[in-house]
Order: sequence, then C-alpha cells, then structure tokens
Amino acid sequence: MYNFFDQLIVTLGTWLVGLVVATGNSVSKICCGQTMGDAAAHNVAAGTEIVLICVTIYGVFALCFGLATWLERKMLARIQNRYGPNRVGPFGLFQFVADGVKMLTKEDIVPARADKLVHFLAPAVALAPALLMFGFLPFGRNMAPTDLDTAVIAFFAVGAGSELALFMAGWGSRNKYSILGALRAVAQMISYEIPLVLAAVPVVMIVGSLSTTQIVAAQGADGFLDVSGWFVWTPWGFAGFVLFLIAATAESNRCPFDIPEGESEIVAGFHVEYSGFKFALFFMAEYLGMMAMAGLGVTLFLGGWHGPKLLPSWAWFMLKGFLIVCWLIWLRGTLPRLRVDQLMAFAWKAMLPFALFNIFATAVWFYLPKTTLLQSAVAWLITAALVVAAYWVVSRFVSRRAGAPRVYRYAS
Amino acid sequence: MDTAFIILSLITVGGAVWAVTLRNLMHAVLSLVLFFFGIAGFFFYLNADFVGWVQILVYVGAVAILAIFAIMLTHNLTAEDEPEFFSLRWLTGLAVAGAVGAVLWFAIKNNTAMSQVAPVGVASNVADIGRKMMTDWVVPFEVVSLLLTAALIGSIVIAMEQISHRK
Repeated sequence: MYNFFDQLIVTLGTWLVGLVVATGNSVSKICCGQTMGDAAAHNVAAGTEIVLICVTIYGVFALCFGLATWLERKMLARIQNRYGPNRVGPFGLFQFVADGVKMLTKEDIVPARADKLVHFLAPAVALAPALLMFGFLPFGRNMAPTDLDTAVIAFFAVGAGSELALFMAGWGSRNKYSILGALRAVAQMISYEIPLVLAAVPVVMIVGSLSTTQIVAAQGADGFLDVSGWFVWTPWGFAGFVLFLIAATAESNRCPFDIPEGESEIVAGFHVEYSGFKFALFFMAEYLGMMAMAGLGVTLFLGGWHGPKLLPSWAWFMLKGFLIVCWLIWLRGTLPRLRVDQLMAFAWKAMLPFALFNIFATAVWFYLPKTTLLQSAVAWLITAALVVAAYWVVSRFVSRRAGAPRVYRYAS
Repeated sequence: MDTAFIILSLITVGGAVWAVTLRNLMHAVLSLVLFFFGIAGFFFYLNADFVGWVQILVYVGAVAILAIFAIMLTHNLTAEDEPEFFSLRWLTGLAVAGAVGAVLWFAIKNNTAMSQVAPVGVASNVADIGRKMMTDWVVPFEVVSLLLTAALIGSIVIAMEQISHRK
C-alpha cells in the first residue's frame, strides 16, 4: 500500500510512456505495415519521458508559484494584523489566477530609448535558469529528473545564469535607476554565491559525490522513521544548513536581503521599466528560484525525500520545501531590510570565514572514528565544539565591524 | 558530423563572430556569453560534463559579469561613430592577433594529447579529476591557488590605496 502511493507518479509516468509507444506502434502499423524498430521505439519512449518530466515539473511548480504568492500575502497579512486577499474564491485562494489574468492583459510598455532586443530577452533569460534548476533535484524515490554525476555544480552553474538576466534587464531598460538596481543585485548575488557554494561543500565532502541522488541516498536510514541520517543533525550539517538558508535568501533576493528591489527606500531596481507579463515573468523567476533553492536545501541537509513512512517520499520532499518557503515568508515579515554595506560586510566578513571554518570542522568529523555509539558521540561533541568556537571567533573578532555605522565617502 | 555538432558549431562560431563584429559593446558581450555556452555545449558533447558545468559557472557566472562591469565603467558604450577604414591600430591588432595565433598554433601542433582518441562513454569523471588534481597535479594546483591568492591580495591593496588617497 505504501509502495503504491510512494511510486504512484513513477507508475503513472511509466504507464503513459508505454501508452505513447503502443500508440506509435499501431500508427506505424497502419502507415507502414509494421511496428517501429527498436531504435525508434527507444527514441519515442525517451522523448515522451522528457516531455512528461518537463510538463510535470513546470505545471506543478507554476501552480506552487501561484499558491506561494497567495500564501505569502496571507502570512504577511497575518503578521501585519490584517486580512490579506479574501475576495476571489475561498480565503482568496484564487487571487493568483486573477493576478495572472490582470498581468496578461496589462499593456506592455517598452521605453522609447530601450535596447529592444535585450529588454525583450531579459525576462526569458531570467526564467530559464529558475526552471532548469528543478531538473537536478530528486523529488522522491526513483523520481530524479536527471541523475547527473555533477548535479550540485550543475545546479549552481545554471543559477549563475540568472545574474546575467538581471543585468540584461537593467541595461536594456536604458534607465539609470534600472542599471543601478541591476548593479546592486548582481554585486549581491555574486557575493552570496560564494558562501552558498561553500555551505554545500561539507555535504559533498562527506558523501564523496556531487550527485544529488547519491547525496539523498547517503542520508537514508533503515526502519520506519528514516530521519536519523539527515545531515542537519550533525554539527557541521546544522551550521551548513543555517549558512545555506541565509545565503539562499540573499541569492533569491528575498527580504531582509531584497536590496535589489527595495521599493520603499530606493526605486525598485532592475525591473522598474517592466510592466505586464514581463514583470510577472521576473516575479515568477524569483519565486521559482526561491523554491529551487529550498529544494536544494532539503536535498543537501534535510534528507531529501527521506522521512517517516507515513507519507510518500515525494510528499515529504514537498512538505520540507514548503516549510523552508514558509520560513522565508516569516523572515520577510519579521526582519527589516539590510543596508547595502552591512549586506556586503556580512557576506565577506561573517559568512565566508564561518563557511571555511565549517569545512575544516567537516574534515575533522570525516577523520574521527565513528564505529561505536560512544565514538560517534565524541566525534559529534568535538565537531560541535569546533563549530561553536568558529562561530565565536567569527562573531567576536572577524565580523566585529560589520555592523558599524556607515562611513559616507562622497555624501558626508 | 552529426546534428548536435553542427548546431553547437553554429552557436559557437556565431557568438564569436558577433562578439568581434557588433558595434554595440553590450551586445558584443552577450554574444560572447552565447559563445561560452557553445563551448560548454561542446564539453557536454565530448562527455566532459564536469568541465562543461565549470565552463558555465566560471565564464558565464563570473567572467562575463566581470566583463560587463568593466564595460559599465567605460565611457562610450555604443560606438555609433564609424571608424576610419584604415588606422595604425589595425597594425597593433594584427601583431597581437598574430602573436596569439602563433602561440596557439605551436601549442596545438606540439600537443600529443590531441592525437589520442578520447575514451567513449566514460560515466564518471569528477572523482578522477579530483584524484588527479590531488596527486599528480598537486604542485601546479597549489601554484595556481597561490597565484590567485596573490591576485586577490593585490586587488585589495590597489583598492585600499585609492581609498587612502581620497581621504
């Protein structure tokens, strides 16, 4: 029974592929009088599989994007003691459909002096990496879209493309506020990419593979509960998870790191000249990027699809990702926006050294013997002491001036 | 030649040609990005997916962004004035291009690795690359990291001097 629900989507997919191949066979029987050759049948099956995977991922996560916008507005409203969307559908649940229709029918304004081609391409270039990033995450048991040997680095490499899109948007608009916003955004994303990747390095060190499938497999444990293997329970894993969450927040331009679009203090940024559906595409790219980052965090630290066998594996993956998204929304409703110099100082003076110390602690953990329970406990305590000491050193000595009052070089 | 090779070649050569011929500097850089993607595609085509991803991560994610930042700091973004047909700069350009071409030609000509046939269908190469880098190539690896550290410190020193001059 459990296996049935666990593998439901896989079974459905296999059935659909078989159906398409069978249909192809009967069609070719009618046309050519014989069934397809083995090579042709293989190509048809592979093509169908690719189309199915893409359609499923895009469909599911586009819907998740819509629901996430509704959830974000509802949660922010709850935090700010108001109702939020409550007119369209039950609890305003269909608000995102109304918003989508509104965005689609809005006038698309292109500035007269804009670089038309770049201005037009930027939203598409922004959305493509956000969608591609989902291709490297294992969503459940036997549910990895691709099983690359280099999946983690592929994820980050694809994500690097989104910086280019922000720049194209800022420059293509031919507007100084756009371009300043794009410069801010790119500088922030480049700075936080380093702690983001370094936070993921310990996991790769311990697993010895960049493959997300193997990383998830390494976090599995026997039995019903299946939670003891999660890397977040180890000291380096916990520190890495916290670092990863912070860097992922910054990387997806979420509050308190949403300087790229600080709409209240500084003119919104790279997308000021975008309206209608092009703006919606940027919005979608941001949310999909956030969800993909949450998915990678789940894969690297929260055991991927492993969880108590009450729910199917894919449900566990989605649930954990959903919790991270909720945490991000909570953070947005709670924390004020950072100043740009604080943001940079935090990335370079606090997160980078702490991530490096964490890698060192992981190496210590790797070489400590962990065969018996006592040895494991000792290893855990030693690594935890190292991580805490690293945190103390970084917060006390390295990043002490990170929160200092700003020195204005030109404006004071 | 199969279709994938032809498509990749068209992307790569097209990007490279646009990068040197387009008058608009920003368009030229974006074409260069297209070219980088084409090169990464060639690495995937040759089963070297790790190198391909690193190509995208380093060249698209860092080098292209750096080039864009550099262009932002230059004055004439869209050189709309037509340059004279022949100028002395052509000679300098020709000399530099000739020197680079000669070095590349000798490097390719004297390279023994080129004549070897690449192994087909190798599934894993990340672990092999890592192992090689930490055993056979550990000295060049460390030298490169030393060089990069020196470059980092150098750039910080240059930036610090500018700050102290302004005050």
